[in-house]
Amino acid sequence: MKQIIALAVAASFFAGGAFAQSGQVPDNLEKLSGFKTTGVTEFTFIEQGGDYAVGIEKTLERISLPDGFKIELYAVVPDARHMAVGPQGIVTFVGTRKDKVWSVTDRNKDRVADEVKDFAPSLTFSIPNGPCFSKDGFLYIAEQNRVLLFPAAEFFYESPDVAAFNLVAKGDLIPPDEESFNHTARVCRIGPDGKIYISLGQPFNVAPADKLDLYNKWGIGGMIRLNLDGTGREVYTYGIRNSVGHDFHPATGELWFTDNQVDGMGDDIPPGELNRQTAAGQNFGHPWYGGGDTRTNEYKGEEPPADTVMPVVATVAHAADLGMHFYTGRMFPEKYKHAIFSAQHGSWNRTTPVGARVMVTFIDDQGNAAIEPFAEGWLDEATGEYLGRPVDVAQLPDGSILVSDDLAGALYRISYTK
Amino acid sequence: MRRAILLGLGGLMLAGAAPAFSGDPAAGRKVANMCRTCHGLDGFARIPIAPHIGGEPESYLQRQLRAFKSGARRHEMMTVVASGLSERQMDDVSAWYAAHKATASLPAGTDPANAPEACTACHGVDGIALFEDAPNLAGETNIYIDTQLKAFKRGKRTHEIMNGIAEAMSDEEIRAAADWYASVEFKVDAATK
Repeated sequence: MKQIIALAVAASFFAGGAFAQSGQVPDNLEKLSGFKTTGVTEFTFIEQGGDYAVGIEKTLERISLPDGFKIELYAVVPDARHMAVGPQGIVTFVGTRKDKVWSVTDRNKDRVADEVKDFAPSLTFSIPNGPCFSKDGFLYIAEQNRVLLFPAAEFFYESPDVAAFNLVAKGDLIPPDEESFNHTARVCRIGPDGKIYISLGQPFNVAPADKLDLYNKWGIGGMIRLNLDGTGREVYTYGIRNSVGHDFHPATGELWFTDNQVDGMGDDIPPGELNRQTAAGQNFGHPWYGGGDTRTNEYKGEEPPADTVMPVVATVAHAADLGMHFYTGRMFPEKYKHAIFSAQHGSWNRTTPVGARVMVTFIDDQGNAAIEPFAEGWLDEATGEYLGRPVDVAQLPDGSILVSDDLAGALYRISYTK
Repeated sequence: MRRAILLGLGGLMLAGAAPAFSGDPAAGRKVANMCRTCHGLDGFARIPIAPHIGGEPESYLQRQLRAFKSGARRHEMMTVVASGLSERQMDDVSAWYAAHKATASLPAGTDPANAPEACTACHGVDGIALFEDAPNLAGETNIYIDTQLKAFKRGKRTHEIMNGIAEAMSDEEIRAAADWYASVEFKVDAATK
């Protein structure tokens, strides 16, 4: 009911054209929350097509996929990170680790985007990596230290001034003294319980002992959840190092997430992780474990929590498993139903680089999971050079999937024909 | 007076054709395979959280690597990387990245008078440093500069000049300074082999 009123107010405001000009204020959020205009009218548009797109398309010729699948350039999107596809299928929002959120629109529905422009240009964002949608069309954007919500974003994004509200005000997501740039690519998803789940990476390679109490209180190195009106915040997951992708199993409703593991222990340990959480408050082992059952040197003599949950899948070390999505579409063959598509960003410090590919994980009736490459070829193995680095996977209404790439600055679409 | 001399030397360094390096750039190129995924082989960063280091003063790079190795400066990734580097490797890779040439230009229509006053004496209006002790800021991701300034402000990173400067800045001033240098068009011209 509250949401309906907000929408009605927003709609009547925009329809009425009651735009009042006024001077600059430091925080435009105040104006947008009051359905006022900010005076900012300029969008930044990103050129689609052209030489840049041709270069990306050349890379895509190298990508191998299972029979029947093909990959095409969907949009040029600078610094493209995590994605949120609008429930109406009108627009896809794409986060970055910089200061922009991009809106990507395929107006003529030829499955290639026609327009890419910045979202809510009057707002000052800081690492707006994580957009997510509720079923009823509210867009949430998780930043470094704030979460904003935008009612009916799929309709209002065409205006530079879009109604915006704090879900978690600036400085309230984590203590400002704990802010960092690394391990701060936040991801959000709305769970089957109607709460928003937000991952909070801890900023160290191995979390130091003197920080653990503080971090556990805030859910840093974990996952928090809260109600969509901002109340009821609690820590849902403990013992994560830096998770940059999670989703809920469409049938069981259980939370699954990737986690990036400790560096500096060798090329082949510890493994990356795909985890399954079956109850609130579970602990996934960081900092006692560096990944899988590999103990960290820093906590070698310590007793890990007795109830530590081990990963369902141990992935190749240092490949950097990031965004993930459970497939629920009808386009792909039956065996992909409820499989996980996930992105490996690629290693940054392994002697021989590994990753930069899209993986698929099949889960059997007993809950056993097996991971294998799905789309690969962004790593030029002859030179060790990355031609692209996949970040996230999302699903379009037609059942095709989008893959974001923050090195090339692009979204790809993978589709299937029999 | 000292400042004027340093400025003069700095100008010579940046303009000079073949500066003398204490490390070996060719050997450093091999070390740079450990750096390239984030900083690029030419020092033009490939990810937002990493700074551009191509064309940075050699001595600045040497000091930062040693600070990461000793623990005086901390970063989740760089602490791991520097811990495995020898003195020789740190000098060589610093020479490799210093051997490139960094250039910067303000975007068309930008008034240089709006540059952040607290920063320009050392980092330049366009973010190309005027002193060996200062890094270039041109074209860095605004959040990178914002993060470093806040680290100086809160004492997580220490420097005799920067701590005082950052303490005097509000969070809004920090972001404005970061936005200024992030908007500069930055380019690295690769060294000849």
